[in-house]
Amino acid sequence: MKQYCLLLIGLFAAQIALASSHREAPLISDDPLADNTDLYAFRSPDNPNTITIIAAYVPMQLPHGGPNYYGFGENIRYEIHIDNNIATPGDDIIYRFTFKKVFEDPSTFFYVRLGKQNHKTTYTLEKSTDGGATFQIVINNGVVPPNNIGPRSIEGGAGLNTTYNALMSSATLTAMSGEKVFCGPTDDPFFVDLGGVFDLGDMPRQGGSKPRDGVACLNVSTIALQIPIEMLQKDGKSAGQAANILDGDYVIGIWASASRRQIRTLNTAGTEMYSGDWVQVSRLGMPLTNEAVIPIGSKDLWNATTPYEDLANLSVFGPYFYNPELALYMDDSQFGTAVPAFAPLRIQSTSLGAFDFRNGKDGLFVLKGNPALAGTALDDAVFGTLLLPAAGSPRSVDLWPIFHTGVPNLRPYQLATGKNGDPLATGKPFINNFLPNGGDMLRLNMAVPPTPRNDPGFSTLGIVNAAVLGLTDPTYAGNADLQFIPNMDGFPNGRRLEDDVTLIELQAVSGVALAAIGLWYDDYVPGQTPSPVTPQLLNVLTYNTGIGQNDTTFRSSFPYVQAPWSGTSRCSGEGRDYTQPQILDPTVSVSGLNAPEIIATNFPNPFEKTTAFKYRLRNDGRVSIQIFDLNGKLVETLVNRSQSAGEYQVEWNAGNRPAGVYLAAVSFENGPAQTIRLNKAK
Amino acid sequence: MKPFLSVRRTRLPEYALCVGLALLGMHSLQASSHREAPLIANDPLADNTDLYAFRSPDNPNTITIIANYIPAELPYGGPNYFSFGENIRYEIHIDNNTATPGDDIIYRFTFQRVNEDPTTFFNIRLGKQNLKTTYTVERSTNGGLSFQTILSGGVVPPTNIGPRSIESGAGLGAANYRELISGAIANATTGERVFCGPVDDPFYVDLGSIFDLGDAPRQNGRVRDGLAKFNVHTISLQIPISTLQKDGKAAGQAANILDGDYVIGIWASASRRAMRTLNTDGTAPTDMGAWVQVSRLGMPLTNEVLIPLGFKDQWNFQTPYEDLGNLGVYGNFFYNPELALYMDDSQFGGAVPAFRGLRIQSNSLGAFDFRNGKDGLFGLKGNPALAGTALDDAVFGTLLLPAAGSPRSVDLWPIFHTGVPNLRPYQLATGKNGDPLAAGKPFINNFLPNGGDMLRLNMAVPPTPRNDPQFSPLGIVQAAVLGLTDPAYNANANLQFIPNMDGFPNGRRLEDDVTRIELQAVGGVALAAIGLWYDDYLPGQVPSPVTNQLINVLQYSTGVEANDAPFTSEFPYLADPWRGTETGAPEE
Repeated sequence: MKQYCLLLIGLFAAQIALASSHREAPLISDDPLADNTDLYAFRSPDNPNTITIIAAYVPMQLPHGGPNYYGFGENIRYEIHIDNNIATPGDDIIYRFTFKKVFEDPSTFFYVRLGKQNHKTTYTLEKSTDGGATFQIVINNGVVPPNNIGPRSIEGGAGLNTTYNALMSSATLTAMSGEKVFCGPTDDPFFVDLGGVFDLGDMPRQGGSKPRDGVACLNVSTIALQIPIEMLQKDGKSAGQAANILDGDYVIGIWASASRRQIRTLNTAGTEMYSGDWVQVSRLGMPLTNEAVIPIGSKDLWNATTPYEDLANLSVFGPYFYNPELALYMDDSQFGTAVPAFAPLRIQSTSLGAFDFRNGKDGLFVLKGNPALAGTALDDAVFGTLLLPAAGSPRSVDLWPIFHTGVPNLRPYQLATGKNGDPLATGKPFINNFLPNGGDMLRLNMAVPPTPRNDPGFSTLGIVNAAVLGLTDPTYAGNADLQFIPNMDGFPNGRRLEDDVTLIELQAVSGVALAAIGLWYDDYVPGQTPSPVTPQLLNVLTYNTGIGQNDTTFRSSFPYVQAPWSGTSRCSGEGRDYTQPQILDPTVSVSGLNAPEIIATNFPNPFEKTTAFKYRLRNDGRVSIQIFDLNGKLVETLVNRSQSAGEYQVEWNAGNRPAGVYLAAVSFENGPAQTIRLNKAK
Repeated sequence: MKPFLSVRRTRLPEYALCVGLALLGMHSLQASSHREAPLIANDPLADNTDLYAFRSPDNPNTITIIANYIPAELPYGGPNYFSFGENIRYEIHIDNNTATPGDDIIYRFTFQRVNEDPTTFFNIRLGKQNLKTTYTVERSTNGGLSFQTILSGGVVPPTNIGPRSIESGAGLGAANYRELISGAIANATTGERVFCGPVDDPFYVDLGSIFDLGDAPRQNGRVRDGLAKFNVHTISLQIPISTLQKDGKAAGQAANILDGDYVIGIWASASRRAMRTLNTDGTAPTDMGAWVQVSRLGMPLTNEVLIPLGFKDQWNFQTPYEDLGNLGVYGNFFYNPELALYMDDSQFGGAVPAFRGLRIQSNSLGAFDFRNGKDGLFGLKGNPALAGTALDDAVFGTLLLPAAGSPRSVDLWPIFHTGVPNLRPYQLATGKNGDPLAAGKPFINNFLPNGGDMLRLNMAVPPTPRNDPQFSPLGIVQAAVLGLTDPAYNANANLQFIPNMDGFPNGRRLEDDVTRIELQAVGGVALAAIGLWYDDYLPGQVPSPVTNQLINVLQYSTGVEANDAPFTSEFPYLADPWRGTETGAPEE
């Protein structure tokens, strides 16, 4: 038991993909302002009576992307949708954000100057609780903090004369209806090796080159909401009223979108006009669906439709989950050998000697109509034919439902603990985020308590880790009862900022979810192999992408995401070595009364190879003599150290330098410099 | 050689240096044209980033024009990597004759994308490429009335995703990426060579610091190239000089190396259809209606730091031929540029310490004040001393001395809108004997007075070999230094070829450090160059006009002084695009 418990890991991980949803479809890649990047939903660790929802937009913002820095767009509806009840069609709650920009000082090209801010953005938040039939304004003139341009613009007196933290704090608002809200630029909390994975799946990198977090040092535009659970629960119940920590009445489905008006007209005066109906151009529920599950030919259609249309489009989209492209690269009878980075990930082809889950095979469809399925989620009488729709659709039992219905606390979707080797038997419950509306959404059971982020048991593997504990830790593995296990509040039960969804989803495509419910890998032969924790399973469990966490920390309170990278931070470009020449005082100085601290002369001048400097210090102090060429390039530093009062001499050997004019800057204690022009002849 | 500093009346060995520097440097500012205006920042596919034009060093009978688009492309920006957009007209415009209105030659590029394998989310797989892009080039030689297709089915190389996608058998199986570039260089039916594709962004600038209220060079911490390791999409053309010269003459037929008949003005644009309708079925939007220009680029950095926010969008939507008609709107942004406020202690100079080496003349020759709002040379209006100079109303009208309170109408405005004629006072100080209005040594003539913002190039000027020890990214600034200080050039006031006379602002070479040069120009170095010295030169009192203030300006640099990748020695000269697997966030 001890070992095959680890297996569980798979099930929950059964989502897909690779890199959230940055530039994930052709059309939306050309419209960055309306491009959803990520969606998170979790029970707030410091405020467990609330759920935090974070929707990020506008991918890959360079912190230094001026003079017109990135931000939310006007004439776009950014929306967060919540379904909490499958008895009501469509959304039960919609939050709609619209943004406006003003220039406080159109006479400058700077973004911030003298307390004025250009592209200053405010927003209106509207809320609908009747499926979008009517909306009510719950925030007017919400403030979006400026971009974090740099210390001169934010802290400086010539700028806004404040701190970035103060700007973020004052932009955290409370809606009239009670939600906490923040909209603004932040660090992109996602992490993934984009360059590796999209080079034909080279993740982790095989050539010895180092993995790189492709969204490190980049910002996104974040919409964050913190919402009391009773406002989200379909009957208005609070967290404390849940029947148990997997109470099915506490499941919500969340998705985000962006819409534009149908018609845009460019005017030759340099303005735009928008008219017509609103058309959805981007959507996001589960991470990475449209990035790595939907192929390029259908990505734009996917973005243009809502989750409530997914069932109607099952014939188009279904096969991408039943037979996912990624699975081709984990199958040696397909392209498996062409993707060496995925070598540890191999899909079951003869699980328990009977079941083949490789693309095009039948998976569990061979059990269709078998009495063994009676009462399980796979029984047509229970959920219809959605989970076993047809032959040749092997992943209809794991990948498809995780994206489209959530996982019920029902056979066979329980931990192996207590199953005694029969995957269809009853096991230990560990997840219930079942909301079977058939649409791609992030599904969260709000009754599950949050794991403190500083808990030693906290893990970025989310429910995968909860499964490991539930199967191996004596505290949890001793019985098949429902218990809280750390990280049951993690992905795919919602999604926490820390969760490593890329890793989890790749493991899931390789069949770890199937293994978790007892459909072991090929190298487990019942009665022959001592343990189902076989080398193949261990390969999958130890698979790693090389990038396991965000490039900065998270905050311990709302909005949890970090301040955006500053436009002058190390993220603002590759460093170059440069020494600024000393600024010289005007040749004819208006004042200039005191005797100089240092007086230097040189001889000979002009010179051919060497020239000597003599100088006298009135007091002790730091002396610097630097030679520059006429372009301001530092040629040589002759002296840069503290010296006592007195007379000194130093020589400059310029033998191999080109002939021409050089300047020697002589300074004392970084004070104004004396400049000596040096003429090197030949 | 005599002490360098003691200036002689006749030879001006050294204050010469200053002079040259200035004039040529006279453009405006800081970071070319990436994300430079609000609307276009939201439409990256149509966003012009940089424009270059130079006489080809390895093929001097031709001019190379490079127009770049799509700013700050992350090399690893998958799964849908950057590419030229469909339904966009990318155009390169050339004016070679002020007697004919508008453009004389237009090259129009349009692109089509196809998915060779719509069943994958990968961009390249098993020899198939998605978003595979091809193009058509049309050319007009009648001001846009009619176009002729001169290249169709042109191939845009794929994104340089990584070795598995480019070289491996599971990808394209190419020998290397450079081979894909070479294979994509095409010849138009009319004799031009053409390349369109992703390349390293040849521009370099510390974006983050400059736009943090002008902190360039950074006063704390390392300077940083904000465009290092990013790609752009380039449209490169190599065109015989005889195709571009207004009378069909070849380079060898020029009367001299500053022959005014060889000046061309170049600008680039992108246009979209006026109406875009989104479809609800996930198919591409329907674009229709008239074409509307949404981006333009001539001189580097005009719309980035000269045109203030309130006018940037309008500027992008208009052609250079409308600039003169809009002089009432745009003129003042050049006569009294915002940047000059930060180089003037009576304005905001004290608030921008990084610019403290740049201080504009407030009392040049004891008489002239070029700070914003002052009169500059306008006090000379009508003075007989101006007779026969470019500042004489009888010669060029009132464009150069339009009004009081427009001090930079004599330097910044013409460099952007007319080019610099080989006429008094726009000559090197060599031979001027202390009178800025006197005749001096010629060094530039890119005068094409159509009044519009363009990159202007005199094609008669020979190219400086890139491996010449005298080659310099300071372009004509460096030519001026040589022309004023090097005995090979400063012995007389005759017209001579001086290395780097083929550099910015006489056209723009890939290597030219336009940010630095333009900031120096706003700092008044161009004025100093024609003898309008800095305040700390008192004639008769200070021995040399090469004063500390001038030295401060000459030594000024943003600290980022070269591109992050070497250029190549043949067309299209640009470096390969950065590979998606070989770049990442800056580490230190």
